[in-house]
Amino acid sequence: MLLELKNIFKWVNSGSQRIFLLKDINLSVEEGEFISVMGPSGSGKSTLLNVIGMLDQFDEGEYYFFDESVHKLKERHRSNLYKEYIGFVFQAYHLLDDLTVYENLEMPLLYKKYKGAERKAMVADMLDRFNIVGKKDLFPAQLSGGQQQLVGVARALISKPKLILADEPTGNLNSKQGEEIMDLFKQLNEEGVTIIQVTHSEKNAAYGSRIINLLDGRMVK
Amino acid sequence: MFKHNILLYLRKTQKHKSTFFINLVGLSSGLACVLLVYLWVSDELAMDTFHEHDERLYQVRRNVPVAPGELATFSTNSSLMLTALQEEVPEVELATAVYELSNMSRLEAEDKKISAPGVMASQDFFKVFSYPLLSGDKNTALTDVNTVVISRELATSFFGEEIDPMGKTIAIKDGEEEIDEVFTISGVFEIPQNASRQFDFILPYKTFLKYRDPDDIAWYSNSSNVYVLLAPKTDIKAFNEKMAGFVSKRHKYVKGEQVLFTKYSDNYLRGNYENGKQVGGRINYVMLFSIVALFVLSIACINFMNLSTARATRRLKEVGIKKAIGANRESLIIQFLSESVLLSFFSLGCAVLVVLLLLPWFNTITGKELTFAIEPQVVLVLFLIALLTGLVSGSYPALYLTKFSAVKVLKGKINTSFGELLARKGLVIFQFSISILLIVAVGVIYMQLDYMQSKNLGYDKDNVMIFGIQDGLIDKVDVFLEQAKQLPGVVNATYMQGGMTNFNNASGGHSWPGQTEESKYITFRHAHVGPEFIETMGIELKEGRTYLNEKPNNESKIILNETAVEVMGLENPIGTVIDMRGPNREIIGVVKDFNIQSLYNEIAPMALLCRTEWISNLVVKIKAGEEKTAIASLEKLYNEFSPGLTFDFRFLDNQYQELYRSEQRVSTLSKYFAAMAILISCLGLFGLAAFSAERRRKEISIRKVLGQTVSQVTVMLSGEFMKLVFISILVALPFAYLLATNWLSQFAYKISLHAGYFIGAGLVAIVIALLTVGSQAINAANKNPVHALKDE
Repeated sequence: MLLELKNIFKWVNSGSQRIFLLKDINLSVEEGEFISVMGPSGSGKSTLLNVIGMLDQFDEGEYYFFDESVHKLKERHRSNLYKEYIGFVFQAYHLLDDLTVYENLEMPLLYKKYKGAERKAMVADMLDRFNIVGKKDLFPAQLSGGQQQLVGVARALISKPKLILADEPTGNLNSKQGEEIMDLFKQLNEEGVTIIQVTHSEKNAAYGSRIINLLDGRMVK
Repeated sequence: MFKHNILLYLRKTQKHKSTFFINLVGLSSGLACVLLVYLWVSDELAMDTFHEHDERLYQVRRNVPVAPGELATFSTNSSLMLTALQEEVPEVELATAVYELSNMSRLEAEDKKISAPGVMASQDFFKVFSYPLLSGDKNTALTDVNTVVISRELATSFFGEEIDPMGKTIAIKDGEEEIDEVFTISGVFEIPQNASRQFDFILPYKTFLKYRDPDDIAWYSNSSNVYVLLAPKTDIKAFNEKMAGFVSKRHKYVKGEQVLFTKYSDNYLRGNYENGKQVGGRINYVMLFSIVALFVLSIACINFMNLSTARATRRLKEVGIKKAIGANRESLIIQFLSESVLLSFFSLGCAVLVVLLLLPWFNTITGKELTFAIEPQVVLVLFLIALLTGLVSGSYPALYLTKFSAVKVLKGKINTSFGELLARKGLVIFQFSISILLIVAVGVIYMQLDYMQSKNLGYDKDNVMIFGIQDGLIDKVDVFLEQAKQLPGVVNATYMQGGMTNFNNASGGHSWPGQTEESKYITFRHAHVGPEFIETMGIELKEGRTYLNEKPNNESKIILNETAVEVMGLENPIGTVIDMRGPNREIIGVVKDFNIQSLYNEIAPMALLCRTEWISNLVVKIKAGEEKTAIASLEKLYNEFSPGLTFDFRFLDNQYQELYRSEQRVSTLSKYFAAMAILISCLGLFGLAAFSAERRRKEISIRKVLGQTVSQVTVMLSGEFMKLVFISILVALPFAYLLATNWLSQFAYKISLHAGYFIGAGLVAIVIALLTVGSQAINAANKNPVHALKDE
């Protein structure tokens, strides 16, 4: 088992009212799964993804990641945990505009204390694998959306995570570019990487091995 | 990672050049101010501290009652003090007496004539003080009455670098002391640069005693400075208590006088005394300018903070991404801090260049010879200042920008909080308050200086030449004066003791008919003046007459000023016979009060005496517009009397100006500092206004589309900042008023503060701020709304 959510609640207080963002979520994810999270806008898809990714807190419930109880961990441990095992892919790519492709890829490694030579090898390997060696000295603004997202995926993968969390990774792309990214995800999944993606598209959801539907913060079967 | 951050920083800098430029200019100027002031302050603090026994080196002073409950502090002592201290006080390890020759003396050797200032000092001088003795023995150099110790500069001027001056002779003449003898050189000393006293030769104190009238070697005759080396671990407080009555028990004339020992190296910075207590001095200006320089730097730091946080939206994306990728807050804080520290060190580089360029100019203003030497201590201080500046200015942005969670940032859910806006506004208000404070300061100092220049002093200081009486003139003053009065361009001529700007001589213990117990100890200033002195100086005679050329008859006469007559309580002063500086003097005249010191002091009771032996300066009033003729003919006449000597004259109004040299310096410096503070504040405001205009681009466009005019938009945009400036004025003016009142309180004669100064300063701030913000606002208001709305 990679991770398990037990009775997760998340809410915000608005005046005297309590608005639930996540309501009693129970989910277990095995290693090697490819899960698509679907649901209308505001149903809590991204929130769920952020909770799983430990970027966001929850108010109630238990969260186990590789048998570690995340809900009991201190901030520092949690951050170590996700640094080690989780990679993010964003809808808006979120590359740093002032860094080149090469430097953007190198950045996650900097926070993990890899040695210079190691970093170089890992970045080179990634550039090679995604076929973007020729673009390594370009800035994000000089790339197309699809290429930027390719770099985004490469950046998420570079530290060899067990789990990739993708929040509408194809949302800003045209259909051809989107298809390429989805193919890439499928391939990665086949290599053993667990993937959880949020998507609006039935077609993209179909790439996954399992679909979770959310409505008003609840999982619907 | 560090390399990465630096790269990121440099690329951002390239993109946002204007922000970088504003920060660089601000921080460089702020740092340059701090560096200049640091050089100045460390020079001031080091003054006179080179003496080996600095900690134990004390000067003997006297607190003398001048009015009931009021003490004046004098630094001169009787020559009897020296032996009394040496023989009777075990705490005094060593003591030396120093008499300072009040005029330049004439020195002659190897057919060269040089005027130089000198002192007469007793045997242990070189053991009490640590002026380096290059040749000679510090134990014996000042023992023989016929010897002289000279400075290295003087030795070089007379004999050149090569020749050893030891054993050579120098003829020394001093008009006032009536010295005219040949002395053998027994030593060569050097005066370090950080010595406050400058003199070129030292005669033995025995010589001083030799030339004194035996009557004047008494406890009531105070002319020498006495310095002592106290035994180690002497409790100075207890010692002062023990010594207070040391003099008063010895002589009836000096009743109530208290002896006070003060640290020698304190004299320079804390030389002011009020009612017998040390009350500061130059240290006030040292502190003031240190604070002002730090303020200027802090204004620049605030610019950095404000611009960094105002443009936070740009940085937040980076923070969010990095956090999502695995950066923790500490590493981001370190990143932001290293950016500001980097900028700070870059600014330091610029500041050092600026300082190197400005140093000659700064030296002229401060009257110093500061050098910017790369010494370990200086480098360390520079490093620390730059590091601190970087950390301070980076602290707020670093803590502020890194506190947001990745999710919020990446979703763009950041709203500028009320507190944060308040902080930014508060910082702007702080900047402008400081600037307004400085503007008021500049105004008040300027007006007070102007007032002092133009105040009616009770005498006419214009077109009055003053020059010393040299050897050829000493016995023929009257002849010289008679001839001088005939010269073209000369209105009148007379002579006097000392100068108009400082009647240093004071004495007490006088008596007159109707004297009360209270008025017994009043001290009177006095000076010896020549016939027609009152006419020459344009002093108003209230009653009686002036001195005529009828010596020795004049020696039994006296002229008083109004204040003296008033404190003495004389109803009909003319013809009254009093005992003052000699028995049975008849009051022949009373003059209206005139200022004899700087305007810090009230006019004191004063007596004008007339005895030619005591005079030192000739005073010649010349016609306005005929200065050239007058000077030329006077020089010719002077050379007839004193052949071979240079005609070394000064104008009285210049001498008067010199009284306020430190105020002039403060005035000039404060002008530049104020300009600096305003400039940096405005740069910051400019940056903020530009940012605000950019942030509100959409809002402006919508407003314009809905029908607001360009001028309305301009007013709206400028108003946001003008509000802050108004608040700054309200904050600053009370402080400004307090500070101005405080500064002016030290002057006995001062301008009265009126609202104009403060309103004026406020207006200046408003106008400058309007110009800064207005251009940005107009620019923003004039943009075509279509472009902004299309971007959405």
